[in-house]
Formats: sequence, C-alpha cells, structure tokens
Amino acid sequence: MDIRVTDMTARDALWWDMRLGPKHASIAARADRLWSWSVLLPMCHLVQRAKRRYCRPLVIWARTDKGRFMRAGMSIVIEDYPYLDVEHSGESNFVWFMSAADSRVLAAEFGMSHPPALARVLLDNAIVLSQNAGLEGRIGLHAAPPGGDGLLVMYGRCGLTRLPASAALPPSVRRRNDGRFFYADERVAESLAAGLDASR
Amino acid sequence: MRLDAKAPATLGAVVEAVAHLSTLSEAHILELVSAGRIEELFPFKPAAGVPIPPDSESDQDLVVASAKPLSRKARDSLIEASLPARSRKRFRTGTASKR
Repeated sequence: MDIRVTDMTARDALWWDMRLGPKHASIAARADRLWSWSVLLPMCHLVQRAKRRYCRPLVIWARTDKGRFMRAGMSIVIEDYPYLDVEHSGESNFVWFMSAADSRVLAAEFGMSHPPALARVLLDNAIVLSQNAGLEGRIGLHAAPPGGDGLLVMYGRCGLTRLPASAALPPSVRRRNDGRFFYADERVAESLAAGLDASR
Repeated sequence: MRLDAKAPATLGAVVEAVAHLSTLSEAHILELVSAGRIEELFPFKPAAGVPIPPDSESDQDLVVASAKPLSRKARDSLIEASLPARSRKRFRTGTASKR
C-alpha cells in the first residue's frame, strides 16, 4: 500500500470539492455526496476551538499508475473527545468526517488502477494519532444517516465495535443514541493498527 | 452573513455562527452537513477564482503529516491554512515625508 498522509489545507479542500465532489454528488448511496470540504474545514476548526478542542484534518494520498500521488481520502478528527463507552473513563479521538474517493472514479478518471482500502487507512490515522497522544488508540465515530445500513456494515467490516442503541452516551456529547455510533477500545485499536503495520 | 471577499462578515457574525454551532452535537452537525444544510448555519463562501491545484503531486512535494500531537503553533498554522489564501495587501512602510 503506497500512500502518504498530509495535513489538510484549503487547497486540498478546494481540489476535492472541484475535482471529486461533482462525481461523488451523482452517487446517491454516498453519505458525503453533499459535503463541501471548503466549508467544513474552517467550520470544524472554529467550532471545536469554541469547545476548547482541536481538530486534525488529514489528507490521504495514493499513488497513481504514473507514480505520482493524488488525494484519495479526507478526514477530520477531533482530539480529546469524550470516549463513547461510558463504562470506561477517558478520552478518545473522534472521527467527525471522513471520505474515501470512489474507487471506480479513481480508476476511470485519475489513472489509479489499484486504489487502496481507504476506509481502513482513514481509521488507522485516527488510531495512531490517539495512541501517540496517550489515548491508547481509542476512537469513536457516528455513521452519517444518509449512508444507511451500508455504512454500518462497512464500519463493522473495518473492525469497529458498534455501540448498542441502548447504551448511554457521555453527557457532553449531548445527543440521543440512534444506534449509529461506533468505537474502538484499546484492544481493538491495537489489533487494527497491527493489521497495517506491514504497510508502514 | 457571507464570508467572502466582497462581503466580509463581521467578527460578531462569525462568533454568532460558531457559538450556535458549538451548542449542537457533532452528530447533529454531521447530519446537517450530509443534508446539504450547513451553509444555512455557517454560510462560508470560498473565494471565487482561486486556481484549482493540480491533480497529482510528486512524492518530494508532499509534506508528510506528523503522527504525533502538534505544537500549539503548528495547530494555529493549520487553522490559518484552512482558509483560502488571500491576495497579499501591500503596505507601505513609510510616509511620504520619509521616502
């Protein structure tokens, strides 16, 4: 898996919105079909600063057939977010937004015949950041409702644990549990990270 | 509020929008964004006419992100870099009498 990860700037958001956004918008099943990263990026930073937290927006670049790198995944991770499993104290990283470029679009229009499994890589970034921040790899996320059951299946296949719909959420999350929250505890996170160690 | 170059938002309007959004849960904001409604609450309009970056970059041109927590300075730089680059204003350093 030949990828690079960079910090996201307005240039990356603009490129994604202009080059991939219109193609993704026509794919009805995509939860991110109406996302504008150029709006999301500053908004997420500012909203989380108002909550005294920081975001870490990242871009995943994958190698094209010609040997150059192009943007293939985007994510915005909130640092030091309440851990979703209230039975255990502590904090985690929360994957607020993440998008993987459509593999057919990458192959057909950008000369990338073998796109990597980007969902796993996007989650791995959040896990490694969590481990290095002393959060022991704990992460959480909420599956966007427009992604339907397909998104739930995808996160399950990635190895995340689904929080039971009956489980309480941390009070500061200020949200009803709709059964679409996922998380990784320390053990799951280490297992997922180890699975990609050979590619680092 | 329109956060664009021709009609810059007041600081108060920005603070108001951020203050309101910060009362919402992250999952709620995700839903609003996914429904295409975020611009109702945060009507940021990226500057028009900014050139689109090239589709690909060479390996040497990429600055790989640190996997460790960033310094406060680096975090602040990232926040600044989340906004489109503005054309640089020219400032004269002296008054006419000092030229």
